[in-house]
Amino acid sequence: MSALVRAEWTKLFTTKTWLGLLLGACLLAGGFAALFTGLAGQDEGLPALGSRQFEELVFSVAANASVFLLILGIIGMTQEYRHRTATPTFLSTPRRGRVITAKVLAYALVAVPMALVVLAVTVLVVQLYAGARGNAPELAGDNLQTLAASGLVLVVFTVIGVGVGALVRNQVGAIVGALVYLNVIEPIVASIGAISGAYKWLPGGAVQAITSDFEAPDLLEPWQGTILLLAYGVVAAILGTWLASRRDVV
Amino acid sequence: MAGHEKINEEGVIATGSTATGTPARRDPVRVEVAGLTKTFGAVRAVDDLSFTVEPGSVTGFLGPNGAGKTTTLRMALGLLVADRGGATFNGRAYRDLPEPTRTVGAVLETAFHPARSGLNHLRVYCRAAGFPISRADEVLHQVGLGDAGKRRAGGYSLGMRQRLALATALLGDPSVLVLDEPANGLDPEGIQWLRGFLRHLAHAEGRTVLVSSHLLAEVEQTVDRVVIVGAGRLVREGSIAELRAGSDGAGSVVVRSPEAARLAQVLQGDGRRIGLEDATRLTVTGATTDEVGAAAFAAGVELHELASHSSGLEQIYFQLTSGTEQYAAAPAGSAMQQEGSR
Repeated sequence: MSALVRAEWTKLFTTKTWLGLLLGACLLAGGFAALFTGLAGQDEGLPALGSRQFEELVFSVAANASVFLLILGIIGMTQEYRHRTATPTFLSTPRRGRVITAKVLAYALVAVPMALVVLAVTVLVVQLYAGARGNAPELAGDNLQTLAASGLVLVVFTVIGVGVGALVRNQVGAIVGALVYLNVIEPIVASIGAISGAYKWLPGGAVQAITSDFEAPDLLEPWQGTILLLAYGVVAAILGTWLASRRDVV
Repeated sequence: MAGHEKINEEGVIATGSTATGTPARRDPVRVEVAGLTKTFGAVRAVDDLSFTVEPGSVTGFLGPNGAGKTTTLRMALGLLVADRGGATFNGRAYRDLPEPTRTVGAVLETAFHPARSGLNHLRVYCRAAGFPISRADEVLHQVGLGDAGKRRAGGYSLGMRQRLALATALLGDPSVLVLDEPANGLDPEGIQWLRGFLRHLAHAEGRTVLVSSHLLAEVEQTVDRVVIVGAGRLVREGSIAELRAGSDGAGSVVVRSPEAARLAQVLQGDGRRIGLEDATRLTVTGATTDEVGAAAFAAGVELHELASHSSGLEQIYFQLTSGTEQYAAAPAGSAMQQEGSR
């Protein structure tokens, strides 16, 4: 299995996709961190610098970069079909479940340093900017917990991406579908009173439960959200493995 | 560009040794396809297909486009799920081989990740199979792509992609090579190189080589045996010589003589068919040039020309695959296996 994981890393690092997505994730996280810090206490609805709410908000913003790691996972899987390398890959490893397991492991492990970079950028921006405004948050206690939660969201979304890619082999379809789901379908579910109770059970609801949110509706406890999100990642990977082992590679 | 496509004599010689540089005699591996069947929707792409591929020879897997060749190869290697039947390599299914790419190397796809270099592509599969990473460089040189290894595969010509696909198949130094239309996109020089390469792998190194093509002419000089399929079923299986011998109008003799009419009378009988084309020309089927010459000499008929005219294998192949009546009418008792018409 370690040979297969290393093969996946070779695939990943011999193209520049990962670099572009990491930069995107850093820009998104750093950009929103700067925006929230700059507008803290000024814009209506944004808590003031130094408040608990502000610190929770600004350190959980990194979790929003999860969309880039979701796409990283999706591309990692779907590129095999898009560029037709599924043929040599499954010839080399005819037991396809091993390929997908290796991908899940390889991407989960790679997502850890990538998440750390995103968190580091966030912390750097907040410390410098809020520090310049005279109120840098302390890197301890609840704030570290919020950062760790954001990092966990980033890693789990990478795994969900691999699973989604195995389910929906069309790269464009998988990415567009995932974005539409996260940005259109979930917000609608959350906004309709009759079904909004279901939102807390969806991946987006689980993310909010983990990172918390000052305008949150009814949500799960953070630890429950963590388990729910991990379950989504595992289910996507298992379903993807099951399907990939039975489908024809034309 | 041209520099990367030149014939690489070195590569041919280099295949005689393994990664460690010592000459190796490999275990012969026999490929057996039995009862393979696959239906796509309403179309039966492969229909109860059985044949064998012997070690130490190059076998051509022939049939027109859409005959089910690619489907067969993909099923044999576990990429497509067969409805029925299967393929074995010395008795084992592909997915049950302990190190599949050491036993079978397959060229089924000439697509690569466009942004990844050829060398890195090979390194991926070295890692996956646990081969030393230096194998990537070795096989790249073996197929004559040494100089292009660091370039993105997206910029490769079709011929270069064929070579990279071949290099991928060679990584495990396999006993069996399966190639799907490997000559596509190769220039004449490349085709020449490929022919020599495949014959060397089979004859000098005892490997089992199965190469598919829809053009007989493309592989005629390379293959020892043929497996011909049409509409997903086996049409013929046997050696090139058997194919030539067992077919209608395999050979006729053309004779030019001032006494053509008298010679026609002399040659009458023995199941020969004689066509008097004009006062000085005859076409005889069912006799050899030796026989015609001897008969003419015995009868004292003056000859100006005596030539054998064989209808090309290409024509035989066309007859075999163009419809059902033609191959159903092939003569019985030939050494070749025959299948009934559908």
